[in-house]
Amino acid sequence: MSENFVPPGQQRNLRACMVCAIVMTQNRFLKEGCPNCEDFLHLAGSMDAIIDCTSQVFEGLITLADPARSWVAKWQRLDGYVRGVYAIKVSGQLPDEIVAAIEDEGRIRYIPRDGSATEAD
Amino acid sequence: MATSNLLDAHFDDSEEDDDNFNPQPADLSDAEDAAADDDQDAGDQIRNEAAQQQSGDEGSDEEEAANNEDDEGEGEDTAARDDDEEEDEEEEEDDEEEITGHRRKRRRERRNQFLDVEAEVDEDEDENDDDEDELNEIKDNFIADTHPDDLADLPAGGETDDRRHRELDRRREMEASLDAEKQAEILRQRYANKNRSGRAIGDSAVVPKRLLLPSVDDPSIWAVRCKEGKEREAVFSIMKRIEERLGTKNELAITSAFERGGTQSTMKGFIYVEAQRQADIMTALDGLMNVYPRTKMMLVEIKEMPDLLRVTKSPSLEPGAYVRLRRPPKYAGDLAQVIDVTDTGLELRVRFVPRLDYGLHDDSNAPVDAFGAKRKRPTAGPRPPQRLFSEVEAKKRHAKYLQGRPDTKTWTYLGDEYINGYCEKEVKIQTLITKDVNPTLEEVTRFASGAEDGTENLDLNALAASLKASTANASYLPGDVIEVYEGEQKGVVGKAVSVQGDIVTMAVSEGDLKGQTIEVPTKGLRKRFREGDHVKVIGGSRFRDEVGMVVKISEDRVTLLSDQGNTEITVFSKDLREASDSGGGGSLGKYELYDLVQLDPSTVACVIKVDRESLVVLDQNSQTRTVMPSQISNKLDRRRHAVATDRNGSEIRLDDVVKEHGGEGRSGKILHIHRAFLFCRSDTSTENSGVFVTRTASVATVSAKGGRIAPSNVPDLNSMNPAMKRNPPAPGDMAPPKTFARDRSIGQTVTIRRGPYKGLLGIVKETTDTNARVELHTKNKTVNVPKDALGFKDKISGQSIDPNSRGGFGGRGGFGPRGRGGFGGPTPGEGGGRTPMPAGGVERTPAWGTSRTPAGGANGGRTPAWKQGGDASGGRTPGWADGSRTVNPYDGSRTAYGAGNRTPAWSSGAKTPAYGLSDGFAAGSKTPGYSGGGDAWGSKTPAYQPQQNQSNDSSWQNQPASNNWGSNAYDAPTPGAAMSAPTPAAMNAPTPGVYSAPTPAPYSAPTPAAAPTPAPGWGGGGWGAPTPQAMDAPTPGAQQGYYAAPTPGAYGMPETPAPNWQDDGPRYVD
Repeated sequence: MSENFVPPGQQRNLRACMVCAIVMTQNRFLKEGCPNCEDFLHLAGSMDAIIDCTSQVFEGLITLADPARSWVAKWQRLDGYVRGVYAIKVSGQLPDEIVAAIEDEGRIRYIPRDGSATEAD
Repeated sequence: MATSNLLDAHFDDSEEDDDNFNPQPADLSDAEDAAADDDQDAGDQIRNEAAQQQSGDEGSDEEEAANNEDDEGEGEDTAARDDDEEEDEEEEEDDEEEITGHRRKRRRERRNQFLDVEAEVDEDEDENDDDEDELNEIKDNFIADTHPDDLADLPAGGETDDRRHRELDRRREMEASLDAEKQAEILRQRYANKNRSGRAIGDSAVVPKRLLLPSVDDPSIWAVRCKEGKEREAVFSIMKRIEERLGTKNELAITSAFERGGTQSTMKGFIYVEAQRQADIMTALDGLMNVYPRTKMMLVEIKEMPDLLRVTKSPSLEPGAYVRLRRPPKYAGDLAQVIDVTDTGLELRVRFVPRLDYGLHDDSNAPVDAFGAKRKRPTAGPRPPQRLFSEVEAKKRHAKYLQGRPDTKTWTYLGDEYINGYCEKEVKIQTLITKDVNPTLEEVTRFASGAEDGTENLDLNALAASLKASTANASYLPGDVIEVYEGEQKGVVGKAVSVQGDIVTMAVSEGDLKGQTIEVPTKGLRKRFREGDHVKVIGGSRFRDEVGMVVKISEDRVTLLSDQGNTEITVFSKDLREASDSGGGGSLGKYELYDLVQLDPSTVACVIKVDRESLVVLDQNSQTRTVMPSQISNKLDRRRHAVATDRNGSEIRLDDVVKEHGGEGRSGKILHIHRAFLFCRSDTSTENSGVFVTRTASVATVSAKGGRIAPSNVPDLNSMNPAMKRNPPAPGDMAPPKTFARDRSIGQTVTIRRGPYKGLLGIVKETTDTNARVELHTKNKTVNVPKDALGFKDKISGQSIDPNSRGGFGGRGGFGPRGRGGFGGPTPGEGGGRTPMPAGGVERTPAWGTSRTPAGGANGGRTPAWKQGGDASGGRTPGWADGSRTVNPYDGSRTAYGAGNRTPAWSSGAKTPAYGLSDGFAAGSKTPGYSGGGDAWGSKTPAYQPQQNQSNDSSWQNQPASNNWGSNAYDAPTPGAAMSAPTPAAMNAPTPGVYSAPTPAPYSAPTPAAAPTPAPGWGGGGWGAPTPQAMDAPTPGAQQGYYAAPTPGAYGMPETPAPNWQDDGPRYVD
């Protein structure tokens, strides 16, 4: 049942989704896609999309047990996402065309998670 | 008219549509509400207008009735749509209002409008007949109303009117279908929003962070200790536990856990767990690896919670920026320049200066197996130096690994790409150091010479970006005029009052805040200057220490006109400071004119010109080059005590004046001595500021500083005499050179003067240079004792003796003073100048005295004996025979012997007169005899003669004996052969040993000059003739005979020697 657990040996293959910051192994992204963003990122089965939309460079891991009640989830804008491991900071920028696509298609305002958004606050 | 109105209405529609396509954020402002109201009003207005017009049309224009009706329908349609839009808006506006009622209302309205719109369309389709009936009815009515004349006016086929209707309908249908699409779009949008609301991102995206700040109702966060570096693992194990216990009664009550580890982080060593109660954390983390919930966990204050999750943007890298490589180890820490950045910013293309050895150090024996590459460990050895790629070198050994095209200067070598000499590589950002790069100028210049035309194009902007990141460079001092250029207080200008860490307190001098004191972080600060300010460059710029006047300011770049070079330079304002002094001169940084600097490990150079930002140096190969201070690795201090030897072997030191021998014959004062190179400065030449380089071996001293005596031609042999190293001479003394034969101390009776065996008596059994093995008398034991701890004792008398001086010294001792006088007198220059020997002689005097003194016991004993002998020739007193013959005297060896024996005689007899005295000799022995003896000793060599001559010259004729004597002693070594023949080896041994080393050359040299002199007085005739041959012929025995023959019994001399020899013989043989 511990599907989100990644043994230390696998941790070098971790990637973080640049949209929702969920951290999973590359293989899992490839097999299942992003559990939160699959509707518009379409990561499953597409290595290119994974490379574009996920990042190997991230800092700070959050294990989110109860997204609905957690303040951390709220602050990180993770409430409403699935339970799992998320990153606090994901470096890298989503390519512009993908940002445009998801804002169109998914009706989501993309918030970069590389720290550039928080400076505005 | 109607059309235009309709168009208007459509136009409005589209506007509203647009509005709707941009869904309003959930928290609509009042203004937006108002705007929406406006829209609504406008829509109403339009509808009203349309209705009025329609009614007007209906009334006025009957002919167009059908059209009108259509139009009306369309107008209604539009109106209906308007309603729809309004509804949508309302719906959105009132979203937060009571939903049920609203829904119902909407549904009702929608149904109505739907019926309105669709009814018409549907009527077209389904109730065509009805429609037509209706139409016909109307038409009939109209037609009935129509004047028959008008009928004629109707276009042909007017009765087929419904065709046009259909046409219109179709058009409308089409429009409607288009609308439907749009509507669908709207709906989709709306429902997508609805769906997404569960996902929350749409909501949270617009909720500002300040509304998300934690409250007391939120769970608390505790910091729990964790093993450093294991934070991530800990988080994952918590995840695992959460999922494992999910749905069981042990379900974890924590809501989240996170870490902010990382090597640079200040929050490493902790994980943070969010839970309602602390107890929940205990149960959740109990037994987890690397997490220590039982140590004191800390509750994070609510207001600090957001800080835990603060994210700062890592500086983005632009092409041209500088980074440092972390991997591979060979390049760790090397500077690299970013060429390209991928979209994600996670991969970069960088270029750097390669470190290649082109296979020079490849181990050809390295095992080549399947794992060969893997097994190869990066060696920790020295890395090859940074050098641009050279295909020529690569071809030498690794041609097979090299591919590329010379025309583009693009090569692939060992899997890496080299362009223009740089290695270019795609790297991940993780493998780079991007913060605090602080590239030095030297490193950066390696990237500067990229341009094809050879011009250096240093990208100052890129450099600035790299440097700017590190605010450590910016230093503010109280009094600096500063300006805030970033942040809320942007534009504020003031004077720094105090500086604490990153915070500068400034007194505002301009603007609204004037008079106030505010604190600002250095990050958003820059120094402010005005044109005309006199400033000095500080900090890391290459223009450091330049002083000048500000002529232009653009943002944070300040251009100033240098005081020194009258050139314009541009630097960052942070590198400037108000200056009170003007530019210095004559030195650049720490380098001054005539300084000796190290360019690379094998090259030194002398600064011959100091420019503003560069130096002209003359290197050891006499080449001038222009270097930047950054290219100089070191400044070499003037070594005051540096010594070298010139071509004549004289020592030269700094500030000596030397002249080149041969070549250009330049002369100059020595500035620096570096190994074999002299940097000299000539006052007469202006080339290279008068500095020239030459080798020490090609100059001759002209004058030495401070009138130091420059020994004309002779190197200081003392310092290179290995023998002196072994037996350090007494101060001021010349060391007794080692003898060639066995150590004379062997077999000696000694007392030990130091150490654990101090005071014991023994016999030396074996020796080395420094140690002796002494067999102790007291017990049967042989011990090692340093030689200098030995006191030599006479075997019989127990007197202290000096084993070394015994022979030579003893003998000479007596004669020394005299002989020396003799030597000193006649050949002072030579003696002094040429050989250390004479000097040694002079110095030796005391030594002799001393050495003699101890020996004196023996000698003394002997002396009288001798004297007696001398006096009474027959008086070979027992003393003489015994005492003097004994060890020491004998040991003294022939020399000693001769000396010893004779010396006293001489000395006593003395002095010149002694010779006269030697009447006794002469008389008794017939001078010849004696002189023969003398021969044997002294005259054997030509050298001797000169000596004599000289001495004669110097009015020493009277003293030939002494000369003879001395010369003897000295000569001995030279003509070794002659000597050896007559005398037993022993004879040779001692003499040469003592004298040979220093003497040989000097004596022989002067000799010739002296040759012709009045030796005859001496009995030169006899001399010359007998010398060698006489010597050669006789064996020891013969010699004795020789001696014996001439000397009368009275003389005694001859006899004495004989026994001596015999006595000695065995000993030496031993």
